[in-house]
Amino acid sequence: MKLKPAAFIPELLRHLFKRPATIEYPFEKLKVPDDFRGTPVLKSELCIVCRACVRDCPAFAIEIETLSEEEKKYKMTIHNDRCIHCAQCVESCPTKALFMNDEFEIATDSRLKLKAEYTYTRPKKSGQQSQTG
Amino acid sequence: MAVIKALIYLLVYPGILFLFVYSTFCEWFDRKLYARLQNRIGPAYTGRSGILQPVADFLKLMFKEDIVPENADRTIFSSLPVIGLAIVLTAGLYLPLWNINVSVPSFNSFQGDIIVVLYLLSLPTLVLFLAGWHSTNFFSTLGGVRVLTMLFGYEVPLFLAVLSPAIVADSWRLAEIADFYQKFPFLLLFQIIGFFVAVVALQAKLERTPFDIPHAETEIVGGTFTEYSGKKLAFFRLMTDVEMVVGSGLIATVFLAGFSGGVFLGLLKFILKTLFVIAILSLIKAACSRIRIDQMVIFSWKYLAPLAVLQLLISIIVKGVIQ
Amino acid sequence: MKKITIPIGPQHPALKEPISLRITIEGEVVKHADVRLGYNHRGIEKLAESRTYIQNIYLVERICGICSHSHTTCYVQGVEKLCGLEVPKRGLYIRMLVCELERIHSHLLWLGVAAHEAGFDSLFMYTWRDREVVMDLLEIISGNRVHYAINTIGGVRRNLNEIQKEKILEGIKFLKKRTEYYTNLGTTEPTFVARIAGVGILPKEKAIALCAVGPTLRASGVSSDIRKDDPYAAYDEIPFDLCTADTCDVLGRVVVRVKELIESYKIVEYIIKNLPQGEIKVKAPRKIQPAEVVSRYEAPRGENIHYIKSNGTDKPERLKVRAPTLANYPATIEMLKNCFVADIPLIFAAIDPCICCAERFVELIDAKKGNSTVLSMAEIRKKYYSTETKRNVVWPL
Repeated sequence: MKLKPAAFIPELLRHLFKRPATIEYPFEKLKVPDDFRGTPVLKSELCIVCRACVRDCPAFAIEIETLSEEEKKYKMTIHNDRCIHCAQCVESCPTKALFMNDEFEIATDSRLKLKAEYTYTRPKKSGQQSQTG
Repeated sequence: MAVIKALIYLLVYPGILFLFVYSTFCEWFDRKLYARLQNRIGPAYTGRSGILQPVADFLKLMFKEDIVPENADRTIFSSLPVIGLAIVLTAGLYLPLWNINVSVPSFNSFQGDIIVVLYLLSLPTLVLFLAGWHSTNFFSTLGGVRVLTMLFGYEVPLFLAVLSPAIVADSWRLAEIADFYQKFPFLLLFQIIGFFVAVVALQAKLERTPFDIPHAETEIVGGTFTEYSGKKLAFFRLMTDVEMVVGSGLIATVFLAGFSGGVFLGLLKFILKTLFVIAILSLIKAACSRIRIDQMVIFSWKYLAPLAVLQLLISIIVKGVIQ
Repeated sequence: MKKITIPIGPQHPALKEPISLRITIEGEVVKHADVRLGYNHRGIEKLAESRTYIQNIYLVERICGICSHSHTTCYVQGVEKLCGLEVPKRGLYIRMLVCELERIHSHLLWLGVAAHEAGFDSLFMYTWRDREVVMDLLEIISGNRVHYAINTIGGVRRNLNEIQKEKILEGIKFLKKRTEYYTNLGTTEPTFVARIAGVGILPKEKAIALCAVGPTLRASGVSSDIRKDDPYAAYDEIPFDLCTADTCDVLGRVVVRVKELIESYKIVEYIIKNLPQGEIKVKAPRKIQPAEVVSRYEAPRGENIHYIKSNGTDKPERLKVRAPTLANYPATIEMLKNCFVADIPLIFAAIDPCICCAERFVELIDAKKGNSTVLSMAEIRKKYYSTETKRNVVWPL
């Protein structure tokens, strides 16, 4: 093994006039790939309330509340503050009602703002839905 | 009139104000160049391409909480940063930048001022040692001891290297040395070895990689600066920056023929030449890894000191040939 | 000279995670070292007992950020053995592909960290810049940069398409070139070599006696690799060399890791070129008959062991994790003896420590009487968290 003093200098000087590899992040953003696991979102018209997602979620981030048994009205709450973005719910869902979007900058100052609520009725025709959060 | 001029000299140019502004600019230049060598952006937001970042850092530190360790000697602990800054600012006054008449010695340019500058540049090292010692923290003490150990390594080569151009110029006055090499620029070619020895020794004096041993953060936390915070740390950082400017200014004076040509041309030359020296310092910083303290001392005495002696020998021979 | 004991950690710039090294020094020379653990215990093993097998995949993934795939693969392999599942070939190959990409990213990261500990920040910046390439590849394959979550019981969750294959080959080609450059640089740059050569000596006999694992062991001249010794997944079908070095120092550990990088590139190329067709996973049962299993896996840092015991329900009775870092601690103490203070971070970093991986157990011992106690969560809350829980926040745990 032979030692070469200043072995790194050519490489350093070569990069002096090249574009930096880093970007000015908050002002410039990199694109995420197509299958990125971002924030889980519910397409409530597809949900059949089988509760597979509730059962499999490792962070207990999904809750389904029964608002009224006769009207088949349900409320799903996705706690994004607990969500670990593993997309197990997407995989467990038999009707593909859940999917992950490409949003990753979801930090806020309160965990209450991270709650996503979906109110919907189960039958074929889609009921009213509201989303907060 | 002379009093006003002297006051301007002390406070504005090239005194406190200029040295403050220019040293922050040099820190920005160093950081930016270092970042670009590493394929990064470097400071980007404060001011145009981050040029005000060092000033912002300085101001931020000024407003931070200032803590003095319980067991430390409060007076010495608090006064050391100010003393250190004052010493390097004083050293800056002797650079032959403005208000210099080569034929007439004055309060800021006299026979032997090169020695004064060299010793003034040695004092901050002592200040750093005392700062480390008085912090009463183990890591600081170890850093302080390392500062002194390193001093024995690089100080002799630095002195020999800086003084050998003076031998050829036959003067101990910075202005005259610079003036001499203005007249005979080709003689500088014989000082190349000395130039590199001086730059490497300055790198060690400024405690930059590969010689950042006294404040190696992954080994001894902050070294001498471990216990310093707030204003005091800001002063120490400013001290290092000013020391970098003065040190590179000294090297530019004796090895790169000084800064003649009046106020504006002189200033331009000063900026170009010091930035050149600082660029070399940054390149060394980027190209090396930190060495151990024993390796540093061995390196100094095995390579730097013999090279400096060789340079001295060359200078004496050159002088003999000229005469 | 007077002996002084200094604390390196739990908070220290050289340490990326909390651990306490009590170092006794004489001047600049280390005379004695002691490792104290327990600053990062999260109770993951206990937590695993209250979750289903599926949920546990994501839990064990979070044991470590760097070798997240190692822990899931080790766990999932164990569970598959428990329920006797035959994983399809394609699934195994994709699993191995992520394994090797993870090894590449881990070793590049380690190279950067080692350079940083030695004060060589430029090399640190360059290796981490190039590591981004493999991070992007992992993101393309799995959808996330750190927690890939590609494993599931019975196979993998995502398939690989042609565009992804091409991108992987492209990235590997670039990385190959860069790694060769770093091999060259890391072994010839005088200041860097001066720092790593002859530092942290661990002789072969000591390495075996102290049960070192992974690159630390291989750098002492012992050829041991679970991929060869006890092949899991489909490693018996893949041609690759075992990398060792006989210098027994930090330089050897750098050389072993850089050589392993080159081997990993070859493995990735082989996997992409010989990817079998077919299914990627089989359906797994939710409940598992009582049994127990030990699963071994060669993580980037060394041998990873998971022990799983099932009890007929959908939750494991016991999950025990032995991470590679824990096996390397005794060897670290041996290496630290008689080194310089300046070498402590380098030697410690050379085992590629992952402290949160190794923090599996905490025992509360009375300092005066010496007997251990058990504290329930309620008692801990009462004792250490005096503030009341905020309203509005509903926490199910």
